[in-house]
Amino acid sequence: MKEKENVFHILARWFVRWFFGPKYEEKWFWNKEKGGAPEKEENKKPDDSELIISPGRQIVQRFLERKFAVFSVIVVLIMFAVVFIAPHFMTKYYDAFTETTQKDLPPTLDFMNVPGELKDNIKSIDSYSSFTVGLSKDGKVYVWGIGSIGATGIDMKKIPEEVKNAKIAYVAAGTDHIIAIGEDGQFYGWGSNRFAQYDVNDVIRNNPNLEPVPDAVRNGELDVAHIKKVTCGFQASAILMDDGTLYIWGNKQAYANMDKLIGRTDIVDVDFTLSYVVALDRKQTSVYTGTKGLFGRVVSQIGEVNARKMSEYLDGRKINEVRATTTSVCLLLDDGTIALTGDFQSDSIPVPELEEGERFIDIEAGNYHYTGLTNLGHVYSFGGDHYRQAEAPTVNGAAKIYAGAFQSYAVDENGKLLNKWGLRGYLFGTDDRGANIAERVIAGGRVTMTVGAVAVIIEIIIGITIGLLAGFAGGWVDIFLMRVAEVFSSIPLIPFMLILTSLLAQVSLTTDERLYMIMVILGILGWPGFAYMTRAQVLVARESEYVTAAQAMGVKPSRIAFKHILPNIFSVLLVTMTLRFAASMQTETSLSFLGFGVNYPQPSWGNMLSRASNSVAALNFWWQWVFTSAIVVLTTVCINTIGDTLRDVMDPKSINDK
Amino acid sequence: MARYIVKRLAYMMLVFILLTFILFMLYQLMPANRAYTDAKNEIKTMKRLSEAEKETKFQELYLKYQRMYGTDTDNKLILYLRWLGVYPFYNGEYGGILQGEFGFSYDYNLPVVKVVPDHMRNTMIVSLVSELAILGVTIPLGIKCAVKKNTRFDRFTQFFTLIGFSTPHFIIYIVFIVFFCSILGWFPVMGVKTPGSNYTGWRNVLDVLHHVTLPTICLTFGSLASITRLTRASMIDALNLDCIRTARAKGLSEKVVIYSHAWRNALIPLVSIFVGGFFGLLGGAIILEQMFGFKGMGLLLLNATKNADYDMIMFLEVIYTFIMLFSNLVTDLCYGLVDPRVRISK
Repeated sequence: MKEKENVFHILARWFVRWFFGPKYEEKWFWNKEKGGAPEKEENKKPDDSELIISPGRQIVQRFLERKFAVFSVIVVLIMFAVVFIAPHFMTKYYDAFTETTQKDLPPTLDFMNVPGELKDNIKSIDSYSSFTVGLSKDGKVYVWGIGSIGATGIDMKKIPEEVKNAKIAYVAAGTDHIIAIGEDGQFYGWGSNRFAQYDVNDVIRNNPNLEPVPDAVRNGELDVAHIKKVTCGFQASAILMDDGTLYIWGNKQAYANMDKLIGRTDIVDVDFTLSYVVALDRKQTSVYTGTKGLFGRVVSQIGEVNARKMSEYLDGRKINEVRATTTSVCLLLDDGTIALTGDFQSDSIPVPELEEGERFIDIEAGNYHYTGLTNLGHVYSFGGDHYRQAEAPTVNGAAKIYAGAFQSYAVDENGKLLNKWGLRGYLFGTDDRGANIAERVIAGGRVTMTVGAVAVIIEIIIGITIGLLAGFAGGWVDIFLMRVAEVFSSIPLIPFMLILTSLLAQVSLTTDERLYMIMVILGILGWPGFAYMTRAQVLVARESEYVTAAQAMGVKPSRIAFKHILPNIFSVLLVTMTLRFAASMQTETSLSFLGFGVNYPQPSWGNMLSRASNSVAALNFWWQWVFTSAIVVLTTVCINTIGDTLRDVMDPKSINDK
Repeated sequence: MARYIVKRLAYMMLVFILLTFILFMLYQLMPANRAYTDAKNEIKTMKRLSEAEKETKFQELYLKYQRMYGTDTDNKLILYLRWLGVYPFYNGEYGGILQGEFGFSYDYNLPVVKVVPDHMRNTMIVSLVSELAILGVTIPLGIKCAVKKNTRFDRFTQFFTLIGFSTPHFIIYIVFIVFFCSILGWFPVMGVKTPGSNYTGWRNVLDVLHHVTLPTICLTFGSLASITRLTRASMIDALNLDCIRTARAKGLSEKVVIYSHAWRNALIPLVSIFVGGFFGLLGGAIILEQMFGFKGMGLLLLNATKNADYDMIMFLEVIYTFIMLFSNLVTDLCYGLVDPRVRISK
């Protein structure tokens, strides 16, 4: 008695019979039970089955002859692998990620490409969003990264002629402007001036929400030798003098507490968060924001629960430096330790443990991360790590550090660049919410492919069952089932999907539940094709000899249907399955594009393209649809090619053509 | 043939009733209560009543409106029959779709039957023109590819139709819009006429043409690839038939063999695609109309879905269902025209 086979065994046997022929099936499956001895004997004398190629093997051979089809298989396999495996490595990715400063950036990978001439004599580096400004020791200004600001037509890389000709002493970059001060005290600025970033006109003077550039700065009356710090915030800038005089200007709507700092002369340090100006006054015992209680409680480590009062924490120590990211502030105390206040992102890297005798001598802040320099010349980063900007490599002998928006640079005492780390750029650019399109394409591909595949599986299960039933049972069952199929295929797909999804909108579903509903709806509306095809094939197969033989032997009808007929129509099913997979992916994409399928924040190849329905956005932000569309088209072309080729090579009629 | 048509018509009616029943049941799930809204609105206009009076008055009005709209029962079957127009309302009158009562659009503040025809005409014109263009391009191209099978021309066409067939239509539209509207600036992107213009006569025709050309081209392009492929496949099958060999053996000219003998055979499986394609254009241009802001049925349905204009949704769904069924009928009739075997057997 043979052992009862399990499902996998049967499937494997089918597979082997299909693609290698019955001889191999015998060899691999039956002979194991018989023992290996007779196998050798068989191998000695070739029998007829070696001369005649099995149909399955012939199909494989003919398939491999077609280069484009093989290429398509490889592309689809790679696509599957990337889409289903890569998300596990995108640990920093989440669907609803947004970042204002990184909106609508074109594809580039040179955010950190410090120009060659600058590499050996860096004086300072600064950035706030997508472009970085650097100053060399001989007073030349360099801008790299993405210079164009949205659709405004402003290009930050176009450094004004007078700046190029002058010897510059200080530069600083905001989100859409750069300010520079020449060695003679002359003030320069370029970029956007909508919020009084660097120039003054009547509109700005009359707008109470804008603070114009102070006259002393604009007229070049500053004593460059006594400038302590030049820094920029979101749409504001500040110049701090050695004597504590603070010049500050820009968008007061973004920085509501700016008024409280205008004209102050007792400031030791100043920086910008996203919505507050933070300053350090002469007493050096608290962060001054003009708002009581703000940044008043400090911790020594990110994620520490028990925040202590500032005075309690300081315990007689003084604050030397204030550095601010968008939401948090880092204080460098006079004993070389640091204190933190404000909110940190959940994926933040904690403050490192320093060696014995090692202490921080400088801290620089990016948009979310901090980079600290110690007295031993080591460099550490901590804080927000979404772009891996807080994972510092080992650096020895650093004398200065600079922090860009999401980058850090370590420089030695001669101004030579030692190392840089952080965000390099975006392969496919960013979307209108500042998310990385390359990551969303992968995550969206997973959604789109899953929806397509599951929808097809549902179609197959319903379609084959009904097709087999109808074809094999015949009579009134056949008529009834085919009429049902006809009703389903009469349903206009997209209008019906619209009404169903608008119904779904009434029920509050989680994004996952919504996804399942879409799969089920697509599957339920798409099965008639499979049913028709299965039925037609069954009708043909029913008349063939092997079924008659099985019937004559008294095999049960259900067993004939599933064990004899189904394997024989498998090839045709495979073709339809492939083509339907591409088709349901297309349907999902179209629906999501219209806003009735997968919704934001969950990405899908369809809803990632929805912004391109606006012709202006489609032209200006071409990268937001070109790459995604190209991948959609490539995938569906390859899947369709596989389906077409399979149909060709499986069709016995087409053999004669060659 | 007449019996066949009658049979198909009867069957079509059955499916129509079945489908509208499903749709109606879905529609019932939507939170629309016209009687309630109307009663609430009317109560708001009465200012002098006290709260208690308002409450009783509201109940009165609510019942009145429910009876007027035929929603004074929870029995879904009765609701459906009333909607069809075969079951009387409270006052003994009939007011369903058989009587031409399709409901009221809150968005347009008009009965839906008054809103739809304009939009339908726009869609029809564009679909018709593009269907003619599609047939004009795909049939010669498909035949040529089939006849010159495996030549360089055929492979070239196959490659491009494969891409076209695999590309979701909206991507084709995006490319066209960017190229023709944004880069070249040949065509306007939105609407069916210049906003605010009051052109008459020849000027108006030109203006409308200017707006409608690109959507039509887009619609045509979207369907070219798949239909060319199907025509080619069908024609190849037809050219392999024994009768073609016989015809050639008889010494008929290649032209006669291809266009008279092979084409007539190839046409049989293509009928459903041509007819279905046309009706599909009528219903399937939703994305196109949304992208071009083209006032057609698709845009109407989209806006109705977004604004929860339920009567409008229902009416449009009924139209779409009807179009679909009608297209099946026309396909069957065309089979009769094209294939003599069908005429004889039925």
